[in-house]
Amino acid sequence: MGKVNIKEKKGLLISLLILAAIIAYMLQERYLTLILCFICINSIAVTGLDILFGYTGQVSFGHAAYYAIGAYTSTLLALKGIPVFFTIILGALLAMAFGIIIAFPASKLVKHFLSLLTIAFGQMVYMFISVTDKLTNGFSGIIGIPNLKIFGYTFTSNQSYFFIFLFTLVLVLIGKKRLINSRIGRAFIAIRENPHAAAGMGINVRYYKIMAFAISAFLTGLAGAFYAHLVGFISPDSFTNAQSNIFMTMLLFGGIASLAGPAIGSAILVIITEIMQSFVSYQMLIYALFILAVLFYLPNGVVGIFDNLKETVSSAFRKKVD
Amino acid sequence: MIIQLIIGALMIGSVYGLVGLGYGLIYKASGLMSLAQGDMLMIGAFLGMTFYKHLQLPFIVSLLLTMLIMFLLGMFLERILVTKLLAKGAQTVYVILCTISVSMLLQNGAMLTWGSNVMQFPSVFKTSTVNIFGYEIIPENLLALGVAIFCMLALHIFMTKSKFGTSMRAAAQDELAASALGINVPATKGAAWGIASMLAGGIGVVIGPIFGVYTSMGAMIGQKAFAGAVVGGYGNMYGAIIGGMFFGFIETFISAYITSSYKDFISFGILIIVMIFMPTGLFKEEVME
Repeated sequence: MGKVNIKEKKGLLISLLILAAIIAYMLQERYLTLILCFICINSIAVTGLDILFGYTGQVSFGHAAYYAIGAYTSTLLALKGIPVFFTIILGALLAMAFGIIIAFPASKLVKHFLSLLTIAFGQMVYMFISVTDKLTNGFSGIIGIPNLKIFGYTFTSNQSYFFIFLFTLVLVLIGKKRLINSRIGRAFIAIRENPHAAAGMGINVRYYKIMAFAISAFLTGLAGAFYAHLVGFISPDSFTNAQSNIFMTMLLFGGIASLAGPAIGSAILVIITEIMQSFVSYQMLIYALFILAVLFYLPNGVVGIFDNLKETVSSAFRKKVD
Repeated sequence: MIIQLIIGALMIGSVYGLVGLGYGLIYKASGLMSLAQGDMLMIGAFLGMTFYKHLQLPFIVSLLLTMLIMFLLGMFLERILVTKLLAKGAQTVYVILCTISVSMLLQNGAMLTWGSNVMQFPSVFKTSTVNIFGYEIIPENLLALGVAIFCMLALHIFMTKSKFGTSMRAAAQDELAASALGINVPATKGAAWGIASMLAGGIGVVIGPIFGVYTSMGAMIGQKAFAGAVVGGYGNMYGAIIGGMFFGFIETFISAYITSSYKDFISFGILIIVMIFMPTGLFKEEVME
């Protein structure tokens, strides 16, 4: 890591400049800004999933549940009159609490049973919000969700939302990098590689698995709360099983266990979804093909392509020097 | 009232049981899990409807033809996709993801081919109800129950009495020893996946007249069947039937006497509780590493 640090920073600077140029162009239009907001929200949620699946090796096919818990908690509390800034945090914390509850049995299960447990949990949350009319207004959903307000400034435009989402996303990514390079992150990776060996090294496997679930659920719940306040309308349709699969597709396509993977994956898939707006019912078909493509041809997603390119280029240069 | 409820519960329970049996078969034969079983049921229902309604074939011919196609589809899934994926050194989770994407493909493929509306499967019998001991019973329910029981018995006999069934069980027990004895292990694995999807597709044809045919019909049944398989002891074929029946009864009686909107919520809640406190299920199958 230490050797390539300067080069990495140069690359980072260039990519940031390109990104800033694109953003400056896109911010001119309301609709494009909305897309940028969605990319940020999905990146946060998928980053959460990545900590669980990519780093700890615990699969979850029910992440839409945490997304829904974050969104509904924040919405319902905000409608009760609690300041939106706090409701977002409370929503994420409640999602985290559910993550911990689910993690207790989940940390004992492996593979199929973990998949099924998370699917069942996702279905339970979806059914609860769709049939509990008194609390969540059922399938018709909730409209008129209040806007975010911090220190007297109310976020109304998409632009203002975009900046706070981007800020949060950068914080989340920095936090993730620090987490992964810390003792906890190394424990996560050890558990992914071999839980028995990890336990043999004195890592409390169960504790770290539960921690991974909690962090993951917190981030996804946070993204859900953001989504609710950005769009101003939520209904159970946004929190189906399909949404969990979308998160999974974004993660796999971007590249698991990488810093940029979730962001790249969500950016590409959000943009494709928007382009394919008129074929919205076949959206899942595209996602399915994406998953198959990743499984068979791109084991490390888009990030893997870049890594391979870097490898080829650097090895070519090395040959010339020799 | 109570008799109709019991018949209904037996019917839906045997549907769950039969689909869940497929999960058990796949797990025993290859140690893997397919989440596409529910969609196999849906594709079976659509194929059966096409043969019966549009091509005007007799019901039994449509059923058998559908089962044959579904067998080939299941075998294709294992031989072409799953085996290739495993050859690349993929983990179990990726195989599950592969079956999830297959299930998405099947759902959307069905939507492209047949449209997204609920389609009417014409009733198989001329009378709308039959009178048995003074109770009015829908004959399609009895047909579904009968077909499910027949399939279970036929599978039991196939697995215990026929040569190929015995070699399938041998391969499930110990792959290496079985292949040393000259058993074609890949063929038994493919056959297990084929039989699993054949059973799901066949039962799909039979329940088509009861529930109607639509693209998302399989998703919920597939998950409930899985729940049944877990409750019965995952990998145990007889456990899957008992577990499926259990969920059939729970669901029918909860929706009849307590609440119909929360029935799925309660079913999945029971599943999670079972997974927490009794992960080996009723038949004490090994599930944890």
